[in-house]
Amino acid sequence: MSQAADATHAHAPTSTGIDHKKLIMWLFLASDCMFFGTLISTHLLYRKLYPTGFTDAEGHQQFVKNLFNIELTSFSTFILLMSSFLMALAVSAMHKGQVKSFRRNVLGVIFFGLIFLGCQVYEFTHFYHQGLTIQNSVLGSTFYVLTGTHGTHVAIGVLWLILLYFYSFTGKLTGHMAGLDVEIAGLYWHFVDIVWIVIFTAVYLVEYLGPSGFWGTGLPLAK
Amino acid sequence: MSEAVAHDPDFLAEEVRRYHHFITLALWLAAITGAEIVLIFVPVPMPVILTLLSLMSAIKFFAVILWFMHLIYDHKLLFWIFMCGMVLAFATYAALLALFSVDRIDTKWFS
Amino acid sequence: MSHDSHHAPVADKMELAPERSDLGLIRPDRTRGLFDWLTTVDHKKLGIMYGAFAMFFFLVGGVEALAIRTQLARPDNAFVTARMYNQLFTMHGTTMIFLGVMPLSAAFFNFLVPLQIGARDVAFPRLNAFSLWTFVAGALVLNGSWFFEFAHLAGWFDNFAWHKALVYTDFAPANGWFSYAPLSGTFGQANDALQAPRFTGVGTDFWIIGIQILGVASLAASFNFICTIVNMRAKGMTMMRLPVFTWMTLVTSILIILAFPAITVALIELMFDRQFGANFFNPSAGGQPVLWQHLFWIFGHPEVYILVLPAMGIVSEILPTFTGKSLFGYPIIVFSGAVIGFLGFAVWSHHMFTTGLGPVPTAAFSLLTMAIAVPTGVKIFNWLGTIWGGRIRFTPPMVLALGFIWMFMCGGFSGVMHSAAPADAQQQDSYFVIAHFHYVLLGGVLLGLMAGLYFWFPKIFGRMPNAGVAYLASGMVILGFNLAFGPMHYLGLAGQPRRTHTYHAGNGWETWNYVATIGAFILGFGVFLAFANLVYTAFKGNKCSNDPWNGRTLEWSLPSPVPEYNFARSPIIAARDVFFEHKHGAYKLAYENDGGEAGVHMPSQSWFPLLAGFGFLIIGFGMPLMSMGVPHAGWVVISGVGVMFLGIWLWALEGPGGYMLKTPADPLGAAAPANAATSAH
Repeated sequence: MSQAADATHAHAPTSTGIDHKKLIMWLFLASDCMFFGTLISTHLLYRKLYPTGFTDAEGHQQFVKNLFNIELTSFSTFILLMSSFLMALAVSAMHKGQVKSFRRNVLGVIFFGLIFLGCQVYEFTHFYHQGLTIQNSVLGSTFYVLTGTHGTHVAIGVLWLILLYFYSFTGKLTGHMAGLDVEIAGLYWHFVDIVWIVIFTAVYLVEYLGPSGFWGTGLPLAK
Repeated sequence: MSEAVAHDPDFLAEEVRRYHHFITLALWLAAITGAEIVLIFVPVPMPVILTLLSLMSAIKFFAVILWFMHLIYDHKLLFWIFMCGMVLAFATYAALLALFSVDRIDTKWFS
Repeated sequence: MSHDSHHAPVADKMELAPERSDLGLIRPDRTRGLFDWLTTVDHKKLGIMYGAFAMFFFLVGGVEALAIRTQLARPDNAFVTARMYNQLFTMHGTTMIFLGVMPLSAAFFNFLVPLQIGARDVAFPRLNAFSLWTFVAGALVLNGSWFFEFAHLAGWFDNFAWHKALVYTDFAPANGWFSYAPLSGTFGQANDALQAPRFTGVGTDFWIIGIQILGVASLAASFNFICTIVNMRAKGMTMMRLPVFTWMTLVTSILIILAFPAITVALIELMFDRQFGANFFNPSAGGQPVLWQHLFWIFGHPEVYILVLPAMGIVSEILPTFTGKSLFGYPIIVFSGAVIGFLGFAVWSHHMFTTGLGPVPTAAFSLLTMAIAVPTGVKIFNWLGTIWGGRIRFTPPMVLALGFIWMFMCGGFSGVMHSAAPADAQQQDSYFVIAHFHYVLLGGVLLGLMAGLYFWFPKIFGRMPNAGVAYLASGMVILGFNLAFGPMHYLGLAGQPRRTHTYHAGNGWETWNYVATIGAFILGFGVFLAFANLVYTAFKGNKCSNDPWNGRTLEWSLPSPVPEYNFARSPIIAARDVFFEHKHGAYKLAYENDGGEAGVHMPSQSWFPLLAGFGFLIIGFGMPLMSMGVPHAGWVVISGVGVMFLGIWLWALEGPGGYMLKTPADPLGAAAPANAATSAH
């Protein structure tokens, strides 16, 4: 490609050498850290205030770990981690110009993302039937809004990747800009994954520490 | 950069190397996650578990951002931009949680 | 790669052949008039629109303020009802902050930043347009609530079932600009329709969704500006050669991207409480209303620095220009700005000293608040150092900038008084607080922004505002504002509480309230006169040269008004205050070999940012309609989301486009140094 053609495109050299789209995506991710930080800390401070968890459908006080299903959540965590891996492969493929390999990997990411979302939906339905709703407790409000917001981020990511997948068939996904566009989508997807790493530890795993869960330390066991 | 880059041999070799790193990393991430899940059922004191869990989560977190998200290969500015957001979020919300930990507000601070 | 942009350079965009985007639709590059303004991505036009909307909403907020002051002029007054009064002070604060000051600052960011760094536009021109139209959507949503309120008062809704079912009928927001829970939230248990009992009406919902939409606009613009300033500087424009105004834009934008997420989440939580029966702030279910205060002020305190830093940047440009000296201690001023921004995140609970935080947190926040006075003081000393020994020209911008220093200092003094928590216990929720923040916001921010308007108007429109009118208006503003808010220090300490629609005689408050009202009207007329003067000037003012003030920074090297391509050829920078150096000093402005007959790349115009912003408008009205119980209102919200996504999707698919515009070969031809000597008065 000639210099002149490159210069006429909106892809001019930048002061730092970093592409505009990459820079703006990292700025967005820094901002999103504050966003999820607020949601996670709201959940954590209410866990501290109300350590016994929630009252289930039969009216019993329950520890949160009796509500959670660690096998399911571990499975969905693995799924999301593996989707992140496939995303990295998809980006790598596009940088190498291998569109078919990109499509295979991106389809994998979409598939795993949908499985994750499916697990979330199953989990929410399961908790709802066990008696945890947004309306009946603070725990329900914080838990569903936090994990629901994360799930919404995943869904937006899945939608973005589906659109990229179909766009790759138009023949316009070529060259350096294609690698960049896929990399940007990849950054978003990986971020959604690392937020889940934090949520998995701070929201799920800590509920299993000790006999009463971390927040219930020192409290008598469930009746 | 132009499309010529995609066929540049050095660039391709670098991408292939990174590809192998990704596979290794994915296996380690899975292993660490497995270890976390096992750890919470191990009967050691809570502070130990908490420290180990935090450490493992931090390792996974930084592994993803440095390698999957390319920060280790990219301009340092991007790393510091993200660190600003993360550190500020962490500090602000640690402060907020500390504020909600004050159970008795009617005593002098030294008594 | 698409070859849309690779056609021949033209001298004027109207000479372009009609061109289709990747979607197959004609790009609106060849539009004129209204369609040109609606589809523009030119940072200068967007800046003008931001400024026009801001000035309009300043006047709206001003009318609200005058209604407040009329009500308070006498004890036991009945000019407005208590309910209307609550709506007035809420909308006054919200309008002034979000629809007055922030967009006026945005107007300056938009117009000036690319010019000051030597760029042709911002990093993402369509995102810039999206920010403007989303802001307009938010402004219409917030003020749309007034139409509902007046319609209700006029009885237009009386025959509707949903209206009869409403428990509370306040349609405009009435909980203060900070909308504290639990007043703004819910209590008790949600019913089957997920509606929990609440204390306020639909007005709160208008406020929630309005601020949320405005937040999106601010965030988008800030991401754009950080990217632009970091990544699009001309050759030789290192960070330490940037004009201070651009530095303050950078710091402000960083504050926005890190502070707005907190309010975004707080608003989501409050909205879930009201719409879906959640319990974040519901005391009956264990929710903690004080959490709202924390989250709000984690946003709210950086917000006030977001409001003031741009004005400080403007003053830092004006003082050197009219004293003929370079800014004293440039690196320290930049560093202080950054420190103020950073510390701004650490002091939020000083708004909550009376909520029972505990002695240790109170002491910590008190100390940190006092600490923030230090970098602010450093800036003031540096400004004084700039003026000292200079040859001062008392032009209108200079008079206003000097007023800023003095008035902002007064506001700072009362602020430091607040930082002592025991003193704050008396001052909290009294008129003393109102005095403090109006001194920093009016005496500080408004004077600074007005100074900026008078300073840069000649560059934006190529016409000079009438100096006599400017002095008169400035005098009225400064006099009126001091008369209005000076006495409030006394009134606050004498016990008059905030946010109360009237007071009884016999407390000794009558005289000063009356004086304050007179001051407010003088202030109002002064602001109106200033804005009217500026609007008149834009259309019919006397034309002036390109560099009437003997300016120092790059924008003064350009013709007035600035051509679409900004720089005929991209500049190469060798020093700070490079244009001043070029005219009077050792370093000359050099230019790259771009432009000329080969043309420069211009971004294409687009309808889709407007479409996406329109989606927000629909969401913004849909959500309150849901709260009103209007049937099927949820579908309105969903369709709004759909329109918004459609706008973004089409925007992504249309491709960047672009065209080549020829520029004159001689970059300084129209702005030769000979013009610089003409002074304004």
